[in-house]
Amino acid sequence: MRTSIFVLSIIIFLLFSVIFISYAQEAPEVSERGKEVYEESCAHCHGVEGRGDGSAAKNLLPQPRDFTGGIYKIRSTASGELPTDKDLFDIISKGMPGSSMPEWESALSADDRWEVVSYIKTFYEGFKENESPPKEISLDGKIPYSEESVEIGKFFYTQFACFECHGNAGRGDGTSAPTLQDEWGFKSWPANLTENWNFRGGSSTEDIYKRFIGGIAGSAMPMFEDASFGLTIEEAQRYGQLENKVEMTDTEDEEFNTLDEKMGNAYDILDMMTEGLANEEQKQKHAEAMKIFQEKSWHITNYVKSLAPEKRPEPAIGKNALRSQYTVDTLPTIDDAAWGTLEASYFPLVGQIIVEPRQFNPTIDSVNVKSFYNDTEVAFLFIWDDRTNNTEEQENEDFGKTYEDAIAIQFPVKIPQDPTAPKPYFLWGGKKAVYLWQWKASAVNSVTELTAKGITNAEVQEVQGDIQAEGKYTDGQYRLWVKRALKTDDKKDLQIEPGVFVPIAFSVWDGANGDIDTKRVISSWYSFVLEPVPSSRRFIYPPIVALLSLGILVGLRGFVYRRNS
Amino acid sequence: MRKPSLFTICFVIFIASWIFLRYIVGSLISVPIPNSVIVMYMALILIAILVHISVEDSRLSEFLRPIIETLVDENKKVRRIVLVVLIPLFMLGYTYTNIAQKAGPPGDPRDAHPSPPLELTYKDEVIEDVENPYRHLEKDNPEEFKSHVENGRRVYYDNCFYCHGDHLDGQGHFASALNPLPANFQDPGIIPNFQESFFFWRISKGGPGLPKEGTPWNSAMPIWEDHLEKEEIWDVILFLSEYTGYSYREVGH
Repeated sequence: MRTSIFVLSIIIFLLFSVIFISYAQEAPEVSERGKEVYEESCAHCHGVEGRGDGSAAKNLLPQPRDFTGGIYKIRSTASGELPTDKDLFDIISKGMPGSSMPEWESALSADDRWEVVSYIKTFYEGFKENESPPKEISLDGKIPYSEESVEIGKFFYTQFACFECHGNAGRGDGTSAPTLQDEWGFKSWPANLTENWNFRGGSSTEDIYKRFIGGIAGSAMPMFEDASFGLTIEEAQRYGQLENKVEMTDTEDEEFNTLDEKMGNAYDILDMMTEGLANEEQKQKHAEAMKIFQEKSWHITNYVKSLAPEKRPEPAIGKNALRSQYTVDTLPTIDDAAWGTLEASYFPLVGQIIVEPRQFNPTIDSVNVKSFYNDTEVAFLFIWDDRTNNTEEQENEDFGKTYEDAIAIQFPVKIPQDPTAPKPYFLWGGKKAVYLWQWKASAVNSVTELTAKGITNAEVQEVQGDIQAEGKYTDGQYRLWVKRALKTDDKKDLQIEPGVFVPIAFSVWDGANGDIDTKRVISSWYSFVLEPVPSSRRFIYPPIVALLSLGILVGLRGFVYRRNS
Repeated sequence: MRKPSLFTICFVIFIASWIFLRYIVGSLISVPIPNSVIVMYMALILIAILVHISVEDSRLSEFLRPIIETLVDENKKVRRIVLVVLIPLFMLGYTYTNIAQKAGPPGDPRDAHPSPPLELTYKDEVIEDVENPYRHLEKDNPEEFKSHVENGRRVYYDNCFYCHGDHLDGQGHFASALNPLPANFQDPGIIPNFQESFFFWRISKGGPGLPKEGTPWNSAMPIWEDHLEKEEIWDVILFLSEYTGYSYREVGH
C-alpha cells in the first residue's frame, strides 16, 4: 500500500514537471523550426535576414517590419520599450488590419507561431541584452463606455491636439497629416478613426488605449503626454475654457494663473522624478497626476471608439444592393436633412493593379452611396473619405508630386437583359462600352459624361446632358451630389427604369497618394435599383386570399353539415 | 391519457418532418437544403400519409372524424370560431409578406469550370507541349526544381497575394472589394481538378480571356502575359501545388 502511494506521488511529480518544463520551453532561445517557418512564410516580405526587404516589399506600404532595428509599432509596453513575446505572438496570430500583414492563426499552429516569435527576436541584439521582461501598460482604472465619457473624451481630444493629425472629425485629415513620415522616411498617414476595421493593432477599447499610452513606435504617433498635466478633469476643462476667452475679467485671470501654476508645479515634479530628486510627498503628487492622466486617456479612448461603427459595413452585394428610394416631391439637394433618413450602401475599394501605372497602396477605403428618385429624375449622394483636398497638380519638396482628387461612377451603356448576359469589362469597359460620370475636385459643380471602351480608351461625350452636380469637402470627407433625368435622348447615355437592376462601379483618385490616370482605387461591378413603389397589389391580393379561405371553410362546413343530416 | 387521434398523429408527423428537413438536416451537413428539395420530400410524405389513411374505410373515417366534429359539432364551437378567424388571418399575412418582399439583384449563374480554348498560347505564340516544361525536374533535378519553385514563390508574392492571399486561400487584402471572390487554391476542388495547362491559360489570359459561353464571368483577373514571362507563369504554377500540397490533374486523365 505504502509503495503504491510512493509510486503514485512520483508519477504525479513527474507529470507536473513535464507540464512545467514544456511551459517554460514555450519560447526557447534559438529555434531551427522557427527559422524554417520564417523562411517559408515570412521571408518573402520581411527578408531572409529580417531587414524587411523581401522581394514583395517594394510594393507594400506600410513597409514590412525591419526586425533588425527593434522598433515595433504594436506593443502593450510603454514607449521606448521592446514588445513582450505575447505582443509579437498576437500580431502574428491576428495580423495587422489595413496593411498586407495577414492573420496566421489559420495557417500556422500555435507552436509554430511561438517558434517564429523566438526566431525574429534573434534579429535584434536588444532582446538578448534585456534580461528583465519589458514593462507592460497597466489597464487599471478602465472607464466604461458612456455618452458622458465620450463627451469628456471629445474635450481632451481637442486639448491634447489629436486633431492636428487625426482631424476634427477623426478622419485622419489634420493639417499636419500630409507632412508625416515614418522612421524610415516613408509616407505615414494618420489613422482614419472612423474606419476602425483598419486599425493595425485592433479596435478594442484596450487596444486603442495601449496605442495611446505607448505610442506607435516608428510612426508619427507619439507617446501621449498630458496637455493639462497635474489638473483634474474639471480644472482642465475650465483651463481650456479660459484659454479660449478673448478677454478675461480679473478674477478669471487670477483663476487662470492659479491653474497654470498648478500645471507648472506638476511638470517641475516630473523633472525631479526623472532626475531622481523627488521626495515622498512629490512622488505621491506625481502618482496622483499620472492617475488623472490615465483617466483622461480612457475618456479619449471612449471618444475614439464612438467615432466608428461597431464593425465594417457589409458590402452592397445581393440584398444589400443600393436601393434608390421613391419620393413624390422634388429631390433633396446636397445638404437636405432627408439624406439622413437613408442608410448608405457600402462599396469597398481596392488598388487598381491590372494596368500600369498601378496603385498597390490605396488610401481610400470605400465609397458610401445614397439615392432618391421621383417620376422624372434620380439623385445620388456619393460620400468618401480622403485625408486631403487636392484641387490641382502640385510639386512638393517633401512628399513628391500630388494630383487632383476625382471620382468616376460607371454604368453600362446597355443594361444586360438577362442574368447570363455579360456586362462590359469592369475596368471601364472593353468591347462593350460603359457610360461614366466623372467629377474632379477643381470643378466641384459639374460632372462630365464619358463613354469608355477600356481604361485608357475614354472619350468625353460630344453632347453633354443636363446633369446637375455639387461637391463639398469637409473634415476629410467628400460629398458629391448628382442629379439626372431618368431618361435622356442621348443613345450613349444610360436609361434608367424603376425595378431594373443596373450594374454600377467606381473609380476614385486620391491625388495626395499619387493617383492619376490608371493609378487609382476601383471596385468591381455592384448593382443599384430604383426601388419600385411598393405595388398596390399588396393591399388587394391578401384580403382576397383571406376571404377565399374563409369561404372555403364556410363551404366545407355547409357541405359536411348537409351530408351528416 | 387519451390516445391521440389519427388526425393528430398525421399532423404531427407532417410538421415534424418539415422541421427536420428545414432546420436539422441542414445543420448536420452544414448546408441548408434547397427549398425545392424540401417541397419534393414534403409532397412524398403527404402522399404516404394519404395512402395510409385511405387504405381502409374505417381508417379514413377515423381520420376525418375530428375534422368533421370541428366543423359541425355544437360543443366544438369555440375551436371552430378560433380556426375560422386564425386561418384567414394567417393566409392574409402570408400573402402580404410574399408580395411585399424586395427583389434581389439578378444572381450570377456562372459556370464553375470555364472551357479552355483549343490552342494554348502565350501572347501570340502557340505552345505545342501542354505539359509544364519544368515539372520533369522534380524527378530529374530536384535542386533546379527547387529553384523554379522559389522563383514561383517570388512571382506569387510580387503579384498574386494581393488578391489570392498569403495563405493562397483567396483572402488577400484586396479580395474584399471583388465579386466574385478570387480563387481559393486551398480548396480541394481547385488544383486537383485541372491540368497545369489550364492554369497557364487562366493566368496568361485572365478574365478578359474567358470564353463567350457561361457568362457573366465578371472576373477581375488581369492578363498576366502582359506582365510576366512564360517561365514565371510555369514557375508560379509549380509553387501553387508545392505550397498547398495538391497535385494537378495529369495530362491524359
